[in-house]
Amino acid sequence: MGFLTILKKMKQKEREMRLLMLGLDNAGKTTILKKFNGEDVSTISPTLGFNIKTLEHKGFKLNIWDVGGQKSLRSYWKNYFESTDGLVWVVDSADRLRLQDCRQELSALLLEERLAGATLLVFANKQDLPGSLSKEAIREALALDEIKSHHWCIIGCSAVTGENLLTGVDWLLDDIAARIFTAD
Amino acid sequence: MDPTAEVGHENGLSGESGAAKMQERLQKRHQARIEEVERRKEAKENQSVAEEKGEYFSSTFATEQACVEELLSSCSGADRAAVTQRLEEATARTVQLQKFLNDSMLFLTQYKMRQAQAALQSLQTSIAEIREKALPKKKFAFGARSKGPGNVPAPVSDAAPPDAAPPADSGEVDGADASEQCFFSNMDDEFLTKTSEEIQKRDVLLSHLSNCKVRLFGSPSTLHLKHIDSCEILCGPVSTSVFVDSCRNSTLAFACQQLRTHNTTDTQVYLHVTSRAIVEDCHRVSVAPFSWSYPTLDEDFTASGLDRDRNNWSQVDDFNWLAAGIPSPNWSILPEADRKTNWGP
Ligand SMILES: Nc1nc2c(ncn2[C@@H]2O[C@H](COP(=O)(O)OP(=O)(O)OP(=O)(O)O)[C@@H](O)[C@H]2O)c(=O)[nH]1
Ligand SMILES: [Mg+2]
Repeated sequence: MGFLTILKKMKQKEREMRLLMLGLDNAGKTTILKKFNGEDVSTISPTLGFNIKTLEHKGFKLNIWDVGGQKSLRSYWKNYFESTDGLVWVVDSADRLRLQDCRQELSALLLEERLAGATLLVFANKQDLPGSLSKEAIREALALDEIKSHHWCIIGCSAVTGENLLTGVDWLLDDIAARIFTAD
Repeated sequence: MDPTAEVGHENGLSGESGAAKMQERLQKRHQARIEEVERRKEAKENQSVAEEKGEYFSSTFATEQACVEELLSSCSGADRAAVTQRLEEATARTVQLQKFLNDSMLFLTQYKMRQAQAALQSLQTSIAEIREKALPKKKFAFGARSKGPGNVPAPVSDAAPPDAAPPADSGEVDGADASEQCFFSNMDDEFLTKTSEEIQKRDVLLSHLSNCKVRLFGSPSTLHLKHIDSCEILCGPVSTSVFVDSCRNSTLAFACQQLRTHNTTDTQVYLHVTSRAIVEDCHRVSVAPFSWSYPTLDEDFTASGLDRDRNNWSQVDDFNWLAAGIPSPNWSILPEADRKTNWGP
């Protein structure tokens, strides 16, 4: 039995997944994480490092890493790539001025070898704002249709109302589970 | 979803060894068992409290929903004024209902949550439909932008021209949905104001302003300032974050949940911030407590949901200065003697 097969078996037994949440600063990553976990979102500060949360959902143990997105922190993102099963890319759908930044950061990530096997969920967040762009517009602006290297999906959501957070995470888990927990 | 403890901490038998400690260990083990039983009991009790809360939620939600539906159905055949008033009330109640749902999410089952979310959605749709039919569209044109609603993203279709893609190199996708996002941009030497009605719960963008005085009387959901030079910008309570980029030589005042300041120099911020303010790539930014006031400030504070008693204005995190214990040279507290007390009109 090869090493990879052993690893796979181990994961299978624990049904454990590692999710990495990234995106520009102010996108709403920490708010999504806390809302998903049913915590108060009114006291969240800009992340000066990272948060890790372990929670159970649908019989899986999720280790979710939420890393700060300020410019000065982005060079540290790579420290968190290892053994990521799912990448959650969070976009502030009302921040039209930084969509190009957002697109560039995402395409750089997708070239990373250590993220090669990860499933990509794009959250088009802040859909509650009247001026937010639709998920179709975000999909176009980020050129998601050009992604051939990863399984991906974009979901419009709002961390403030909680809308669609479950839908997104459920899709992600299903996709990952289909990849890593089913027989070779 | 079942949140579990962050990281399990077993009260294991670490460290000591030897028979002399055995008794103590057994005692500890016993204690741990008792605690475990207690914990389970408590969890069970919490469970039943959650169920009770769930019942309460369902019935309250249903009553309120019926009430809004009643209001909406009474719109048909009514005159303009009555429709306007009923729609307003229906909207306000729906917003309350959404809040109620948000606050209850912690203990609701997924099924209930989705059900409630769907009910809210259908209320919102009905409100929009009635408004569309009974009242002419109020176009939200804001600011002096000469361009019309520009590159509204075309409906996604397979037939889209292959070269339609990337927006200009400027990196700015703007103009889209100009009727929805509030903005002032490209102005010089102006006095600009917005009323509460115009900015309530919206995302407001101010960009490329110089030598302007701006007064935003109301509570937007979020506020972005970009390329601001020598301006005085005052804004009521912002329910989420204020994002400032490339601002110089200006005076700002607002209340918000988070303040994120980038590439900003020689700027004073009169601030009420309930979580934290940060600076990145900034120089000579100074902070003072929020002191601007206007007649409807109290109401706007309430509408924003911000905690008025929690103001961390003097604690600024500098992302370029992570040396613990040594204060950042990039920001400071504005000395009391230098603070503005009279804000004028
Ligand atoms: N209106 C609205 N505001 C949101 C939403 N999600 C997050 N926010 C607000 O956006 C601001 C930034 O949210 P955070 O969760 O701190 O953003 P982040 O992505 O973790 O930012 P960094 O930690 O700097 O990387 C906060 O003021 C949130 O309240 C949303 O869905 N709608
Ligand atoms: Mg964060």
